[in-house]
Amino acid sequence: MLESLLISLQLALVTTIILLCIALPLAYLLAFKSFAGRTALEVVVALPLVLPPTVLGYFVLVMMAPDSIIGGAWQSLFNRSLAFSFSGMVAASILYSLPFAVQPMQQALRSIPVSWLEMAQTQGLNMKQTLLQVMLPAAKGGVLVAAALSFAHTMGEFGVVLMVGGSIPGETKVASIALFDMVEMQQSDQAWILALILLAVSFVMLSLVYTINRRGLDVSAGR
Amino acid sequence: MNHMQLTTRIGTLDLQVDANFANSLIMISGDNGAGKTTLLRALAGLAQADGQLSVGGRIWLDSAAGFMLPPQQRRLGCVWADVALLPWLRVEENILLGTGSVDGKWLAELAELFEITPLMRRKPHMLSTGEAQRVSLTRAIYKRPTLLLLDEPFSAQAPAIRQRLRLCLQSLQTRLHIPVLMVSHDTDDTRALAHEHWHMREGKLLTALPRHSSPVGNPEQKVANHD
Repeated sequence: MLESLLISLQLALVTTIILLCIALPLAYLLAFKSFAGRTALEVVVALPLVLPPTVLGYFVLVMMAPDSIIGGAWQSLFNRSLAFSFSGMVAASILYSLPFAVQPMQQALRSIPVSWLEMAQTQGLNMKQTLLQVMLPAAKGGVLVAAALSFAHTMGEFGVVLMVGGSIPGETKVASIALFDMVEMQQSDQAWILALILLAVSFVMLSLVYTINRRGLDVSAGR
Repeated sequence: MNHMQLTTRIGTLDLQVDANFANSLIMISGDNGAGKTTLLRALAGLAQADGQLSVGGRIWLDSAAGFMLPPQQRRLGCVWADVALLPWLRVEENILLGTGSVDGKWLAELAELFEITPLMRRKPHMLSTGEAQRVSLTRAIYKRPTLLLLDEPFSAQAPAIRQRLRLCLQSLQTRLHIPVLMVSHDTDDTRALAHEHWHMREGKLLTALPRHSSPVGNPEQKVANHD
């Protein structure tokens, strides 16, 4: 049980960190730029919200097959399969949790007062300075919410990690799958404990999100 | 001499200005919607405009040649109706935002002039509207701009302090020797210190007379005389 929990935590942590790096530029693009294919990009980002996890998992698995481009490249680089590995699960989780990272950041960036961005321009701040000294501090709440939601959502995955990870004990068997196995094997005491732990993690993460959201409102009101 | 020849359309406003301006204190008046703020925004490069603009011997805009100097590189000092102080930075940090090394002496002098010395360590939410506006003025001038654009910079000031601020702005303009364009509604007092007075109506610059040659009275009448 402990092993599966550790894998889940590790997966959630790694996914969240990588996801934030990928989602921030995406959120920036969607918040401020208009370009051809903008709607398509927004739809692709939002797809995991409505797609059955098994469908997403299936496509990811197909892409990771050793005879596919991505899977083949990985195989020749690292001499092991991307499918049914921890790295494969991370890649799938990033796709699966993408909207939970992009959307809060996109909203936070969009709600930055235009006057602040113009002030940054007339004060002579370049793009990087504006991002680091104005946008990110102003959107801090959105970034934290994105991190908390990505973490919680990755912890709660089942279908995608089962398809892509394959439930290999000690490597890809995460807590949610372990719980399923426990119930199947009628280990109800252990199942109870694990379920309570997962519940607690989600509760804490969502509490964090709601606390930040309330504080965030105060900030944008000029406080 | 600096030169502007700018045209832009924003909503129903059709801005068309053509004027030379010296490194002097210029007051701009006009009704709401006459294009005063839009003119300042066009000068800052925040509003898209066509035409030509040169300030301090440097070309800022030459739309025929497809050239526009971005606002970041114009070294502007701006005070807008929305003072845009960043709430997570202290007053001092807001003033220093985007500037390089700190000139402590200059900063202290300006803080004294704009009467914000006791506020330097405060966060913006602890300031009154008038105090925030004076911080915004300090921020605009601290960087020793090449052009100072002030959109009703004293609107939130009490009458007593207003007079002191006008004099202080006048002396700073003389010291920095830069063009200062100031939108203002309190005609009587500000005209007394401005070197030039421009009046705008429906996006056009109607008068650009030096102070000494302009008769006292309603600027609209002057316009009528010129037509």
